[in-house]
Amino acid sequence: MPRLEEAVMVVAVLLLLILVVFPLMTLLISSFRNDDGFSFSNFADALTERLYLQALLNSLTLGAWTAFFSVLIGVPLAWAVSRTNVPGKRMIRVTATLAYLSPPFLVAIAFVNLFSPNAGLVNAFMRDVAGLPWLTFNVFSMQGLVLVTVLHTFPFVYLLASTALQSVDASYEEAAQILGCGKFRTALSITGPLVAPAILSGTLLAFVNAIALFGSQAIIGLPGRIVTLPTRIYALFDYPPQYGLASALSLLFIVITVVALYLQRSFLAKRSYITLGGKGSRPQLVDLGPARWAVFGFCVLVFIIAILLPYLTLLAVSLSKSWGLDFWKGLTLANYRFILFEYDPTQRAIGNSLLLAAISATVAVILGALVSWIDIRTKAPGRKILDYIALVPLGLPGIVMAVALIQFWLAMPVALYGTLAILMLAYVGRYIPLGVRAANTALRQIDPSLEESAHILGARWWTTMREITLPLMRPGLFAGWLLVFVPVVQELSASILLFSSSTITLAVAVYNLYETGYSEPVAALSILNMIIIGIAIWLANKAGGQSMTEGRSGLSSGNRGGAV
Amino acid sequence: MAGIVLRNVSKTYPSRDTDMAAVSGLDLDIHDNQFVTLLGPSGCGKTTTLRLIAGYLTPDTGTISVNGKVVSSSDGVIPPEDRCMGMVFQNYAVWPHKTVYENVVFGLKLRKVPADEARKRVDHALDLVNLTGLKKRYPSELSGGQQQRVALARSLIVEPSILLLDEPLSNLDAKLRERMRTELKQLQRRTGITFIYVTHDQAEALALSDQIAVIHGGRLQQYGTPREVYGRPANRVVADFMGLVNLVHGRVLGVVGGRATVSLLNDTRLDLPAPQGSAAGDPIEIAIRPENINLQKPVPGSSVLAMVSERIFLGNLTEYCATLASGEVLRVQTHPQEIFNVGDQVAVNVDASQCTIFQRT
Repeated sequence: MPRLEEAVMVVAVLLLLILVVFPLMTLLISSFRNDDGFSFSNFADALTERLYLQALLNSLTLGAWTAFFSVLIGVPLAWAVSRTNVPGKRMIRVTATLAYLSPPFLVAIAFVNLFSPNAGLVNAFMRDVAGLPWLTFNVFSMQGLVLVTVLHTFPFVYLLASTALQSVDASYEEAAQILGCGKFRTALSITGPLVAPAILSGTLLAFVNAIALFGSQAIIGLPGRIVTLPTRIYALFDYPPQYGLASALSLLFIVITVVALYLQRSFLAKRSYITLGGKGSRPQLVDLGPARWAVFGFCVLVFIIAILLPYLTLLAVSLSKSWGLDFWKGLTLANYRFILFEYDPTQRAIGNSLLLAAISATVAVILGALVSWIDIRTKAPGRKILDYIALVPLGLPGIVMAVALIQFWLAMPVALYGTLAILMLAYVGRYIPLGVRAANTALRQIDPSLEESAHILGARWWTTMREITLPLMRPGLFAGWLLVFVPVVQELSASILLFSSSTITLAVAVYNLYETGYSEPVAALSILNMIIIGIAIWLANKAGGQSMTEGRSGLSSGNRGGAV
Repeated sequence: MAGIVLRNVSKTYPSRDTDMAAVSGLDLDIHDNQFVTLLGPSGCGKTTTLRLIAGYLTPDTGTISVNGKVVSSSDGVIPPEDRCMGMVFQNYAVWPHKTVYENVVFGLKLRKVPADEARKRVDHALDLVNLTGLKKRYPSELSGGQQQRVALARSLIVEPSILLLDEPLSNLDAKLRERMRTELKQLQRRTGITFIYVTHDQAEALALSDQIAVIHGGRLQQYGTPREVYGRPANRVVADFMGLVNLVHGRVLGVVGGRATVSLLNDTRLDLPAPQGSAAGDPIEIAIRPENINLQKPVPGSSVLAMVSERIFLGNLTEYCATLASGEVLRVQTHPQEIFNVGDQVAVNVDASQCTIFQRT
């Protein structure tokens, strides 16, 4: 008799095959094929023609500089928050979170409004009013691109570094000090080496994320003639699409990402000895004295540049009749009326994005729960492989996912291209690792005896799942759902290749409108986009907060015995 | 009620270096209506045995039968949900998202017991474990002992014929443990359910059990009543595990009719039941419990003399270390009223009827 749990396992495997394995295989095959059949010509082109080499080089340059500046911003912030008495720690934490959540292409649009060579407000002011033309800044440059990208990626370094700094047991440092080691030397010879792996790991994450961002690279890079891998791949889909070459470039892209992520994982693995220290001892806080105001100033500066400046700018642009030095003279809501009621795609895009985000998050979390359940609770052969496959999309930039999906589904007898379904597949595929990770954490916290005691009372697999396992995982699964929902609402990198006029999404609508060149309505749509994301995060936090506390009290009691 | 028979049961966990046999060649007959304890140090295989009986694990060899029906063999097992057993876990495994009532009623719901009857039976079960009035509480609002009782009530309510308990008292503090011990024993007598109880605490095993199975290194060392296991340990592993013991070297002088005369401690002679196949001249080891040694003021002709080298006051008794001329140290427990001082010369007398001989190899 085929049992339900076995059927469910088969479904999970099939889904992973369709979402990840088959599209990737299609990508691989297509990259080795030209009109004559099997050939290395795509790779030969990608690695010899200046057009593509330049894109590769630009991507690497962008990634390297972004990673460098992410460390420069992230590490001091992390140190200030976890190891000093700097005021305003809450503000720093909020800044990092918001900077990470805010869509980079919106920040890019904001900075274009401030620093585009001619019309940029700051540039115009410096040139025409202040008479300081040498103080202008052209955002359409590598520097501009790095600036905009860093604002999104420094939280990776910040987050990993501050977690590591907080988990270094104070006794390590105290032990050094009692031996006569000064504070500075302690930081250098004890704390530094202990947290270095975490910082390196954050740096690599910043790198990987930086090079994958299509939106900012298109908005800032293209006018400045800085073509990167995502924008080059995108261009290859102009008619006639060059699938083979796009696939080859995509594979190169994957190789870079995977190598970086592999290094990141191995650095992170080294980090584990930090947590082996005793428990409960809090790290010492350095008294900075008056210097703490200087550090505080730095934090405020980051807050202003990363959050305040872009969103106030977008708000101002969205309310102005015509963006310029005297924009405040003609404030209006006309732009909002236009994008809400007159610009045809807006409402459709909002509906599509919310629908897709809700469905994708649900599917990703359910699939994640299945995969982690198979991995942790069964002895099914190959369960580890399943777990790895579910992590593979971490190494796939959004646009690469799109390239793979397009080709796979074009080869299938089902017409998915241009439907909401293919977008959903892309989103689920991209964010399945988040679902798996959330489910994994949740499931590992549940002692198997809680399920076993249901079995011995006579409960079968599904009853146990429904009554015990899933309710206990719920808070963790819900957190995972949000973790997927928020990025999907603002997803651009994959959507840009997969949308059609009827399946347009919010981020694509913003980008398309931006392409047409009207700054003010774009700003209004961006603000609208931000409000939707904001509401989603707020709702999420509210609901999540509740169920989290509920779940936590429950789980801790369930774990009491296990922890003893 | 039900009896359980284990025949030649083995279970090996694959591991990186060598395959570790958690249980090997285990034979055990558990009769109806008994309180049986699986006793041994941690990692000895006792929990594995319990999980084999419950059906969470499949044995590599051998069979497990309940009431003559094979429920586990290497070919397959009847899953736990079809065994009509109950199990109480070391960490209680009380579901944190369900109230006390919901926890206890779960098994009845699975059996589709009508709501009215279910409510009555839950009330009864909670009475049985002294939890009346806590129905609506969540486990996080209960103490460890109360959670323990919820777990018990939850297992008992479905009227299992066999209840498996995996170190159920190990997470409770000493006082509560004492009380729950008594309650468990009474519960078993009242319900007549076969209890199979896993513990590493020999005092607990002695206090509770009808039969104790001492397991060590995955093998059954001895199976008998508490009195047998304590007083007549089958080997030195059991002797050592069942409490404080002096293992003293000696030699067999002669064997007559199943009894051996042995010499130990400066030619003290004792007459003891002989281990099988022992003959004159064999080197042996004699297990002497500290309470079976008597210390007295030396009188002329005392055969074994020792010096008190340590005195430890334990409240209900006093423990001495008596060092012999040979350098051997005996631990002796006496009534606290007999007082010797460190440095005193004492005469040592051993109660032969309470000693056991092991062959030395």
